[in-house]
Amino acid sequence: MAGRYSLDPGQTPRTILRSVLDTVDTRSPRQRRSTQTSAQRTPLQTLSSKRQGSRTKATVRRHSYGTRSIGGLAHVQAHGHLEQQTPRTLLKNILLTAPESSMMMPDSVMKPVQVPEMVESSRRESSLGSLELQLPEPEVPSTLASGLRATSKRKQRLRLSVFQQEVNQGLPLAPEPPGNADFSSLASSFSLSFVPPPQSQSVKRPGLARRRPKRQPVDVGALLQDLKDNSLTSALPGDNHRSPVATLPMDEVLEDTQPFSHPSAGGSLSVYCSLPNPSPSGVEGSEGLVLHRTRSAGTGLQHMNRTGLGTTPLPFSEPQPQLPELREAVGSQEAVEEQEGSSGVEDSPGRPASPELACGTNDLLQAEQPHQFEPPPPSAVSVLPSRTRTAGPRHHQDPYKAGLSHYMKFFSFYTKRPVEKAAFEIVEKCLDKHFQHLCNDLEVFSAHAGRKTVKLEDLELLLRRQGLVTDQVSLHVLVERYLPLEYRQLLIPCAFSGNSVFPAQ
Amino acid sequence: MEETEAEAERQFSHRQRLKAAVHYTVGHLCNEVALDKQVQFNKQTVAAIAEVTFRQCENFAKDLEMFARHAKRSTVTTEDVKLLARRSNSLLKYITEKNEEIAQLNLERKTKKKRKPEDESSNSREPAAEVVDTET
Repeated sequence: MAGRYSLDPGQTPRTILRSVLDTVDTRSPRQRRSTQTSAQRTPLQTLSSKRQGSRTKATVRRHSYGTRSIGGLAHVQAHGHLEQQTPRTLLKNILLTAPESSMMMPDSVMKPVQVPEMVESSRRESSLGSLELQLPEPEVPSTLASGLRATSKRKQRLRLSVFQQEVNQGLPLAPEPPGNADFSSLASSFSLSFVPPPQSQSVKRPGLARRRPKRQPVDVGALLQDLKDNSLTSALPGDNHRSPVATLPMDEVLEDTQPFSHPSAGGSLSVYCSLPNPSPSGVEGSEGLVLHRTRSAGTGLQHMNRTGLGTTPLPFSEPQPQLPELREAVGSQEAVEEQEGSSGVEDSPGRPASPELACGTNDLLQAEQPHQFEPPPPSAVSVLPSRTRTAGPRHHQDPYKAGLSHYMKFFSFYTKRPVEKAAFEIVEKCLDKHFQHLCNDLEVFSAHAGRKTVKLEDLELLLRRQGLVTDQVSLHVLVERYLPLEYRQLLIPCAFSGNSVFPAQ
Repeated sequence: MEETEAEAERQFSHRQRLKAAVHYTVGHLCNEVALDKQVQFNKQTVAAIAEVTFRQCENFAKDLEMFARHAKRSTVTTEDVKLLARRSNSLLKYITEKNEEIAQLNLERKTKKKRKPEDESSNSREPAAEVVDTET
């Protein structure tokens, strides 16, 4: 036996490599040894087609390993015994065997999955501005690093660096089969944006490699589902009533929230188009608002609010077109709040979009700020029942409470601690009461001034009572502080006038 | 500068006197309640109630002024006061009743005497006083 494994002078490295290729498929040094006992060339014919197939696949890669591992292979052949093999040679054998199944299979299996992802991501990339590109950039190194760890091939490293350069330049990627593996990881990183898929582990173990393509569609689907749930709470109720009118501006406005798709001018135009809508509805809105809790009046500020919610940095734009489709009759409390703010106040900055439970002095700061959120002191909210009770509270309460769940997520985020369910419910109740009070106040203020429409002055009065608007801090200051720039442009027309004076002097 | 300092000083002393007056009234009321309910009041409690009352009066005054200005008036009327008290149902009811009483009195006065603008100002003053009393 020993003589068999001595290096023949007639054997070239090529023949040695060949023989190793034949024997390596079995993935077992013992089997390899047994096959090596037979003639070196016979395994070519006697082995199954699978080996041949794997050999042909493996030859592509083996040549690169050939120069490196030729010494090791020679050692393998030379010694043959498992006991005589050094760990180094064992590792090399494993490297020879392992990538066989993991490298090639995922490419073939994942290609159909990658293609749509590539299309998506390339589309995203082409449509992405520099703003969005910055998002995947920090992840690119991480996924690249994982890809590097996964595939310890020099060829792929080169491709990855090239890919990284391309990403930095914002070019669409050149589809390369090995690069697809990493690209799909990047695509999934685009889609996920905060959970890089653990591909490196799957590559090292051939058995798990097959599961990899399954992960990606699930992740995207789960994320879409999550977004759907979010959009359910944020879907506005007035859409059902004013769907024919509202579809167009809402779609436009929704698309306008994506910072890369439409210019803000188009967005502002569409919002302007939607702004006159509240005025006819505002007459009914302010009266019927609190008394009947109608979820009518899909007003311009509702649109604005939705867009505002849309501007929260979602990593991708795709689920957003689904939002108009998910137009369910979910009257969120924020919708009521928006109605209060918008049905009367066409130009008001009271875009009380988001959720907030704040301390006593900042009660209305919550109504204005989109994302500031502080833990609520329920004591600040007066628990006394409001004077004007709604006609059908039962009918509307559940959707409102369901809408408030959206705020609960913000709440749980800002508390940075786990929160009990009972606490959530109480917070929701307080929030509900608080918003009811605010709506009542607005209606009463407008009635006090002998008007039927809630106007900017009413909202300013409300803010003043809250202590947000003082003699030092005016309404415009709050608008500038807390609202997005597009709203500021709308609400403070002179801000964008560029200091031009009419008539010109 | 000296004038402004003196002005501030005067205002401060004025405030202190007002606070003292409120404290005195609150003390009396607390004594009455103590006799009524057979409980005793701590001095700190009385002081706390007095301080709260004073601050609340300030808030009321500012709100009333805001409401009047919001209605584009320069006079504070009962409407403003009702708006102020809308949170508390019982208080609102009480004020509305009082308002109706005063309105009836005014009507009687009008039928007896000539119409005077002083009645409106007395209207505004009386409900405000009632608010203070009911608050304390």
